[in-house]
Amino acid sequence: MNKYLLKFPPEVLDSPIIAETVLETGIPVNILRAKVDYDEGTIIISVLGDEKEQKKVVNALRKRGIEVRKLRGNINNDVNRCVNCGACISLCPTNAISFTKDLSIRIDDDRCIRCSLCVEACPLRALSLQEEV
Amino acid sequence: MKTIKEINRRIKKGEAVIVRADEMPCLFEENPKRAVKEVDIVTTATFGAMCSSGVFLNFGHSDPPIKMSKVWLNEVEAYTGLGAVDAYLGAAQLSEDRGIEYGGAHVIEDLVSGEEVSLRAEAYGTDCYPRKSVETSLRIDDLNQAILFNPRNCYQRYNAAINSTDSILHTYMGTLLPNGRNVNFSGTGEINPLNNDPEYETIGIGTRIFLGGSQGYVTGEGTQHSPKNRFGTLSLRGNLKEMDRRFLKGATIPGYGVSLFVGIGVPIPILNERIAENTAVRNRNIKISILDYGIPRLERPVVKETNYEELFSGSVEIDGRKVRTSPLSSLKVSFEIMDLLKEWIEDKEFFLSEAVEPLPKDTELKPMRLSEKTIFVENVMTKNVITVGPKDSIRRVAELLVEKGLDQVPVVDSKNRLVGIVTSWDITKATAQHKKRLRDIMTKRVISSRRNDLLDVVARRLDRYGINSTPVIDDEHRVIGIITLGDINRALRKRAK
Repeated sequence: MNKYLLKFPPEVLDSPIIAETVLETGIPVNILRAKVDYDEGTIIISVLGDEKEQKKVVNALRKRGIEVRKLRGNINNDVNRCVNCGACISLCPTNAISFTKDLSIRIDDDRCIRCSLCVEACPLRALSLQEEV
Repeated sequence: MKTIKEINRRIKKGEAVIVRADEMPCLFEENPKRAVKEVDIVTTATFGAMCSSGVFLNFGHSDPPIKMSKVWLNEVEAYTGLGAVDAYLGAAQLSEDRGIEYGGAHVIEDLVSGEEVSLRAEAYGTDCYPRKSVETSLRIDDLNQAILFNPRNCYQRYNAAINSTDSILHTYMGTLLPNGRNVNFSGTGEINPLNNDPEYETIGIGTRIFLGGSQGYVTGEGTQHSPKNRFGTLSLRGNLKEMDRRFLKGATIPGYGVSLFVGIGVPIPILNERIAENTAVRNRNIKISILDYGIPRLERPVVKETNYEELFSGSVEIDGRKVRTSPLSSLKVSFEIMDLLKEWIEDKEFFLSEAVEPLPKDTELKPMRLSEKTIFVENVMTKNVITVGPKDSIRRVAELLVEKGLDQVPVVDSKNRLVGIVTSWDITKATAQHKKRLRDIMTKRVISSRRNDLLDVVARRLDRYGINSTPVIDDEHRVIGIITLGDINRALRKRAK
């Protein structure tokens, strides 16, 4: 599974592009977050399936004028600031944050849906949302 | 029976046996007699946000000299109602430029880290201190003294927090999700210093401890020390100049304020079997109440009685539902402190001190004595409420608002139960959009209040949601009154007189 950041130019804002892409490729797409403004839309999706299928989805989107970027890593933890208290753990809606055996914080990138509740709640301001790569 | 002198001699000879508090339960249960005989010291620790922390600073005199009447460090105000260039910087003080993102605790961390800090002071000027203002920047080495003095640290245990309301709460117990979806708790349980010496047999005034990465002292019981119900606290002192940034960290508790994470380690000398047994405490034996922080009162209702073992397991069961837990203190850093303290003692850098006075065992926590009367919603609300029904026409409601001089009116069903609210602005909008029925334009999710809510709480509620009034409902959701901003202001003004 991979996550992608999609940027919708204003010309295509009113077209059902995600639906068209799913119909065309037959590959399920999960919308994690969506933000649509008057001049630009941003959607973050996760795509299941192997590399070939991922490519198919990406191509179908690009063909329709969408800017597609693969997201690597979601939440960045500054280990120099983090004290591994765990204030973030119970806030995560997808259980992506947990303690390792040595009591450090671990963030599971696959589970993270980039809601950034943990970023806002971190008392040490150690967490940040990685914008894109 | 051992004495502290004997243990110090064993430290000197490199013979002292030191274990961490988490290792003691097994050792003691296996063979209590041997544990008492062989173990000399148990190390305990905590590393959590402690608001009642701060630092006494002496800046040195300027030329010409100044008697500061106000002083700011990196735009965080410090209290200087002391000698000319003395000040106390509280950890929880917010900065004037960055609000809760930077405060006293962050200045303390910056000082410990050797960073340059700006100083700005004002004065009224005297014959002996003519200077009226000063601006400079300095580092910790430039100060004559920087003494960490914390009036209340090291809570033995603390109530856990949950939120029963349907909106997110930002509290000193961290971010609480709506509808009881998470539980936050603080403290380190079985490795906390006071939980390992609950009778204060070894910890007292003058006890030498690990404080922020250097050697500090217990100066007495902390404020709000409440030993009878095992909510003991300590006041502590240490030299900030010798401390380590790893064990003093400025924190922003979102929507609440600033606090300081303070690293504390206390060695417990095993002088007799009773002390040994106390250090064998386990997380499951330390009881914790989960309180509902959705109720903004001094006495919050208990949602569940639990213990540190369940809290540290990652979730607690509440009404058959698994609710996830977040610790707010760092176990990882606490373990580091216990290990480091052990190392110091093994390296003969740290010796035990005898307490010069024991801590009080009988003080209690009293609430504030208020000279004014507590005002509840029912004392102030309007009881004869004008209501409308969801099927009423907009025209009819518009006429009613004008006739009675109202800005809004609650919408109720046939049994007088609250189903919505409609404002004069809603009516204006409906007219513009040619809507006819009230139920199509009313606000269905109404912010309501209860008759026994405190007035200050309702004032905050109105402020938070940006509304002017709130219907008052009973347990069956029936409208029994309405309270407006005007009602509240009048009542609060009367109270102030």
